[in-house]
Amino acid sequence: MIHDMIDIVREYWLLLLIGQYPNGPLGGLANTLILSALSIAIAFPFAILLAFARLSKYRALRWPVTVLVYVTRGVPLLMLVLWSYFLVPLLTGADVPSFFTMLATLVVYQGAFLSEIIRAGIVALGQGQMDAARALGHGWFGAMRYVILPQALYNMIPSMLSTFVATIKDTTLGYVINVPDLTFAASQVNNQLLTQPFQVFLILALTYYVICWSLTALTNVVERRITRRRAGLLAPKRPLPVSLTRNATEQP
Amino acid sequence: MTASASAPAQDQTIRLADVRKSYGEFAVLKGIDATVSRGEVVVICGPSGSGKSTLIRTVNRLEEINSGSIFFEGQDVHAAMSGRELNLLRSRIGFVFQSFNLFPHLSAVENVAMSPIRVKGVPAAEAHEKALKLLDRVGLREKANSYPAQLSGGQQQRVAIARALAMEPPVMLFDEPTSALDPEMVGEVLSVMKSLAAEGMTMMCVTHEMGFARDVADRIWFIDGGEIIETATPEEFFTNPRHPRAQRFLSDLRH
Ligand SMILES: Nc1ncnc2c1ncn2[C@@H]1O[C@H](COP(=O)(O)OP(=O)(O)OP(=O)(O)O)[C@@H](O)[C@H]1O
Ligand SMILES: [Mg+2]
Repeated sequence: MIHDMIDIVREYWLLLLIGQYPNGPLGGLANTLILSALSIAIAFPFAILLAFARLSKYRALRWPVTVLVYVTRGVPLLMLVLWSYFLVPLLTGADVPSFFTMLATLVVYQGAFLSEIIRAGIVALGQGQMDAARALGHGWFGAMRYVILPQALYNMIPSMLSTFVATIKDTTLGYVINVPDLTFAASQVNNQLLTQPFQVFLILALTYYVICWSLTALTNVVERRITRRRAGLLAPKRPLPVSLTRNATEQP
Repeated sequence: MTASASAPAQDQTIRLADVRKSYGEFAVLKGIDATVSRGEVVVICGPSGSGKSTLIRTVNRLEEINSGSIFFEGQDVHAAMSGRELNLLRSRIGFVFQSFNLFPHLSAVENVAMSPIRVKGVPAAEAHEKALKLLDRVGLREKANSYPAQLSGGQQQRVAIARALAMEPPVMLFDEPTSALDPEMVGEVLSVMKSLAAEGMTMMCVTHEMGFARDVADRIWFIDGGEIIETATPEEFFTNPRHPRAQRFLSDLRH
């Protein structure tokens, strides 16, 4: 059986890695990783905006976002995927590639989750930090940018890494709307072989496992470092952070 | 009994006129009238929950008020104004918190230099140089690259004072700056405050350090139940407090 698996990998590694590219769209593991990385990269700033809206004193901002967050968190991701699959073409009137439908869905879904993590991270800092920044003359956004977010986001690095792991796993649901990712490639391989589904999907599972396991291990290392640094044991070596000096002249 | 209105208008750094504030039904400030003249050191004391923090936080508008007005150098602090104007106003009023509130992700020197850079647009190199001078002034030059978690409470509070001074405010407000400190660290913070007072800084200090009040204050405001019920020089206040509640407060402090 291990033999079979090695043979399958030998035979189909390119398909599993990049799908039918360059003869077809990019797919396989490459596409899985690109989809995950892109959705996190977009979901992250989106989540910060959602968190700001949730913390806003204006009801008109707070309400719709609260509803969005609750709905998104209360509905299985697969439902959202199917919804966007049928809704996005309706709304845009265009034939959107399934990759982008999946990307949009993941951004909304992970954005809603991350926004709750970010909001909790901001609230956990307490009012004192915001008061101190405002008393020094920083505006709300300045206080967020230079005082609140650097701390809240730094504290949240582990949560964000685990969200990334979750996202990689979530991309597999793109299969139902034919996103050409690793799962899709594996099922193509299976369709060609027909007789070895167990081996094919074991390879698939192992690949996901290795990626997610390494990221989780990284998360744990980072988490330990942060814990130590919070205790003040691990002073950062740099004397001045780049952020303080780099765009010093950029102030409006 | 209200504070003297005797100081000429141009010498009044801060003037509070019938300031009222309530949380729901509960009135925290019940008509505060008082002035702080340029160079004056006012110590505010009174029992817990009497509204001292609320009062001092309304001066730089960390708290809103319901009615009345507060003037800082002639400007109405609680008037409608743009965010930019309010930020500029706040940057001219130094504030020191009971819980220090240093920015834990920045080293001491960065804590001090950050706001001049970000709020005033001072070039980074210049701001850092000035920050080191200020840290020197509070006796912490050698801790410039330490992070707040690596500093004692007294050291953190001294950095917080340097941070407030970095904006070059003409007045400094202190809300119980030594209450969160271990007793052996109170002195180092008070001596920084004393030197500030000696240099002519206008100061409003909420504190229960009666030694400091006696030595440094020009006037003491005794506040109880949201009202200033006695203003006096330290000498009058400590030897001959007029109001019975002030007498009780002082005798409670001594025991
Ligand atoms: N956000 C708030 N909501 C409701 N009540 C509040 C709020 N903040 C303060 N209060 C109440 O207002 C009163 C005055 O509070 P304040 O903090 O100004 O007192 P204080 O004189 O500073 O007391 P302490 O010496 O304990 O610091 C207290 O009774 C307090 O419970
Ligand atoms: Mg108080």
